[in-house]
Amino acid sequence: MIKLENVSYTYMQGGSFEKKALDNVSLEIKSGEFIGIIGHTGSGKSTMIQMLNGLIKPSLGRVIIDGDDLSDKKVKLRDVRFKVGLVMQYPEYQLFEETVLKDICFGPLNMGLPQSEAEDRAKFAANMVGLSESLLDKSPFDLSGGQKRRAAIAGVLAMEPKILILDEPTAGLDPAGRDEILTKIRDMHKRLNLTVLLVSHSMEDVARLADRILVMNSGAVEMFDMPSKVFGKGRRLEEIGLTVPQITKVMDRLRSAGIQIEDGIYTTGDAYRILLPLLTK
Amino acid sequence: MLKDITLGQYFPGSSFIHKLDPRTKIMIMFAYVVIVFMIQNFEGYIALTAFLAVCVTVSKISPKYLIKGLKPILIFIVFTGLFNLFLTSGTIVWHWWIFTITKEGISFAAFMVLRLVFLILGTSLLTLTTSPIALTDGIEHLLSPFKKIGVPAHEIAMMMTIALRFIPTLLDETDKIMKAQSARGASLDSGNILSRAKAMVPILIPLFISAFRRADELATAMECRCYRGGENRTRLYELKYSVTDGLGWLYTIILFALIISLNFVFGKF
Repeated sequence: MIKLENVSYTYMQGGSFEKKALDNVSLEIKSGEFIGIIGHTGSGKSTMIQMLNGLIKPSLGRVIIDGDDLSDKKVKLRDVRFKVGLVMQYPEYQLFEETVLKDICFGPLNMGLPQSEAEDRAKFAANMVGLSESLLDKSPFDLSGGQKRRAAIAGVLAMEPKILILDEPTAGLDPAGRDEILTKIRDMHKRLNLTVLLVSHSMEDVARLADRILVMNSGAVEMFDMPSKVFGKGRRLEEIGLTVPQITKVMDRLRSAGIQIEDGIYTTGDAYRILLPLLTK
Repeated sequence: MLKDITLGQYFPGSSFIHKLDPRTKIMIMFAYVVIVFMIQNFEGYIALTAFLAVCVTVSKISPKYLIKGLKPILIFIVFTGLFNLFLTSGTIVWHWWIFTITKEGISFAAFMVLRLVFLILGTSLLTLTTSPIALTDGIEHLLSPFKKIGVPAHEIAMMMTIALRFIPTLLDETDKIMKAQSARGASLDSGNILSRAKAMVPILIPLFISAFRRADELATAMECRCYRGGENRTRLYELKYSVTDGLGWLYTIILFALIISLNFVFGKF
């Protein structure tokens, strides 16, 4: 369980470039949830997720992971980091080893696992993200962009974290690669009962995947609710530089054209279910 | 931990010294270094202190900040002082075990330390009042007479500009990589020297790779815009000498004359 209590963070505190990145954020995420995080650039998303594994310490307030307060000196941050796996933006730059397998093993070996178990985990993680076995002996620098991304995600996954945080895991990938990685993430969420926090700029992706959506705006929590509720407030989302999924816009237009359809449609699947009977009538 | 590093310590301002042409400032800097080495007596240092104090006051840079620039070479200064103090032969004033202090040693040590301190203070004043870009511009201009004998003045200046431009980028990058590896459980600040050196590998390799990639991309981008070195290139901001530069020189020449006459009047220390 993740709990943030009145968390604030100020960059360059006291200096002339002082900037408040987070302002009194309180929230609770239950284990096993799939959370989508959306927000305008600079809204504090990245700062917030880096707090969840202790990379950034809050200026004020408390971050509590499974009952452990991260600002408590007795809590070992390294152990927290094995529990809270964080895949940063464009994670492929973190690859450094001679082979993909060795690179994925880096995290498990840091945990103090024996070589054989680390390799087993690495192979499992590679399989999870859809990285074929033949690639494992290659140099990570010979992989394609999408494969590098997967190798980097596998490197975090191999630590078998209970909570997986991904900061725009599909940025810069082609549509096929994007869909595949997101599908894999959803599979992992279901199969391993992972708590997933997914930061994304794609409303469609979070609408499709998330149980709840956290909307951030200038360092504060704007909304934190089910997708149907969040995307029901389209006007407010547009005010803070976000939008609703394309399909929601289509449905809104149809509704204003006088067609009777229900509110809060935000995935193509739902739209199909509703539109099909209307069209075949 | 990286945010503690202050680089490109330029302090923007609009004082007389800030307004000086970078070429003038660099040349005066050279003249200043020569003057520091010409000084032969303590009276000369008093004159130099007054000269520098006026410059610092005019530049509106806090003296505290200037003195902070001495910190990194403090050990060097202390060692220079101690070596000269103990290893100069002459009239013995104090002796204990293998340590001997001579009268000449004391004044020589004081002289060397003063020389070092003044060199650092003067050069810091230059970098504090001149933006890195202006500085490389000035260097390029000053080097251009040497183009005739094959010195690639423009290229050298370009390399310096690019290097300066990429320092903050690479610092950001290092920070990012360190975070990513710590998220995978790398422990960067514990263990003995060997394990710490080993812990640097996961940071240095990605850093080098990204530096090479950036270099490659930048080279391509420059070529796409048909960049081809210094030949016939005009610039956005032309450097121009003005009255201020004349005044700057006048001030330096007066100091020069003062030091020479002090050398005559008081002789060697």
